[in-house]
Amino acid sequence: MGHDESEHQDHIQLEYQPALPMSNGKLIVWLFLSTEIMFFAGLIGTYIVLRFGAPAGTWPTPADVHLSEPIGAFNTFVLICSSVTVVLCLEACRAGRAATAKRWLFSTFLLGSVFLGVKVYEYNQKFSHGIYPKKPRSLLHERANLEYAAALRSPLKAKRDELDKKKVELGGSETTENAESEEAGEKQVESRLEESEERDLQKYNRLLSGVVEWAEYVATDPATPEAERRDVLVQLANYVSGPGHAHGHAETEVSPFAGQLDQERDELKAEQDRLEEKQRQLLAARQNNSGSEATQKADIQSDLAAVEGRLKRISHRMDGIGLLRELKHGINEDYQMHLPIVLPSGNMWASTYFLLTGFHALHVLVGLIVFAIGMGMYLDPEKAGFIENIGLYWHFVDLVWIFLFPLLYLF
Amino acid sequence: MSETKSSDLDGHSGDDHGHGGVGKYLAVFVCLCVLTGASFFTYSDLWPFKDTPAVGWVFMMAVSCTKALLVMLFFMHLLWEANWKYVLTFPAALMSVFLILMLIPDVGFRTRKYSEKRWQQAAEPEVHAAPAHHDPDHPEDHQDGPHAHQHD
Repeated sequence: MGHDESEHQDHIQLEYQPALPMSNGKLIVWLFLSTEIMFFAGLIGTYIVLRFGAPAGTWPTPADVHLSEPIGAFNTFVLICSSVTVVLCLEACRAGRAATAKRWLFSTFLLGSVFLGVKVYEYNQKFSHGIYPKKPRSLLHERANLEYAAALRSPLKAKRDELDKKKVELGGSETTENAESEEAGEKQVESRLEESEERDLQKYNRLLSGVVEWAEYVATDPATPEAERRDVLVQLANYVSGPGHAHGHAETEVSPFAGQLDQERDELKAEQDRLEEKQRQLLAARQNNSGSEATQKADIQSDLAAVEGRLKRISHRMDGIGLLRELKHGINEDYQMHLPIVLPSGNMWASTYFLLTGFHALHVLVGLIVFAIGMGMYLDPEKAGFIENIGLYWHFVDLVWIFLFPLLYLF
Repeated sequence: MSETKSSDLDGHSGDDHGHGGVGKYLAVFVCLCVLTGASFFTYSDLWPFKDTPAVGWVFMMAVSCTKALLVMLFFMHLLWEANWKYVLTFPAALMSVFLILMLIPDVGFRTRKYSEKRWQQAAEPEVHAAPAHHDPDHPEDHQDGPHAHQHD
């Protein structure tokens, strides 16, 4: 090194003049931040365009997707506090108060961790409601159509069949062991379907035949008017996801669906009475015409079959109505189930939400790692440049959240 | 020598007390908290423009821009930096704004020009007729639940 310098003494001494009046590190951080501005502008711009481009009323409200505004506001406050602590850390570092600087840096690290912790909690909330960024696990459907009804039917059927199979197996063992000793008899009493399982089985049966299959039946029946076909499926979606959070959070003793369901029940009751009367007439006609033509007998028989089929469906529906009348917040919430829900633009919302908050959280995580490295240093004034640079980065992370919070939680 | 040089470059050797200061930072912090409260206020029932959400959006964006400016000017020390700050921040900010402005007519407003036939093929559910009978004054009312317009 010393030898090198003496060799260069003969040459003209050039003094390095930086193009910009700041250190290379800070220049690089600022250049990086200006690319970050464009990066997040792309993401936020995409969100804005999709959100306001969605047809009126189809973008989910925060309540629809279980976003809590107070939690979002709390996280904003946490990030603002962390911005202050990092700037105080820089002040202390410059003033040569290394211990104080480290304390402020540690506070920043803690606040950043709190932010991430809240994010983890929020993500968990989304996942528990079937809101995922990707399709196979996502339970969101764009429209209440027959495809949606089929998507409801298959998990219910799977659960029902599972319990049914268990019941048959237990029942089967019962018959084979019947002839055996009392000891075996005791065993089969233990292995019977548990009471809660029996209740679940009934619940699934009622949901299947009285709610989902009824809606499919009404929606595909050619006799149903067009508008009613759509309504019955929309109503089905409402039963699953609840009456919609947008219209007040008030706890009510009466089911929000009660009025509508009572009306339906009255109508069905009237129809049931009519059909039972008809059934009696047809049965009487069948007895009276026992000696008459075969075609007439076949007609009566098919009429009777139709009436009985309809009556059976109605009785299933009555069971279903009984179950739906007890709902407070929808099938999913009341019965702790994870059935598909209808949320127009819900999947698009999930994609943008997880992309935006995910990239932001990733930036927070990177910040935390750098803070952790900084905490291992002795923060004398020499390190002020380093602290300033990570501070700039951290303020930028805060800045992005300043825009994300209102856009995601309050718009 | 290089150490003194770098602290010269950062511009903190001479005018350490020319800017910053705990008092100023705390004042900015209080402002930021108040502004966050202000945008959160649009969520409360006391917010008077519940039925015209656009007012709330403009208000919140104005608040956010103010907050962003406060953070950049004071916490990121841009207020006291030399003119290079414009070189690094303006082009990026302008490109961001242009990007969004260019996307809005092509993508954002696409459904506004859909014909009846196009709607049948659209991935979005068709609700273009619903707001008229629901709320004629505010065709862009997004505050209703997602199921609200499906009963047509």
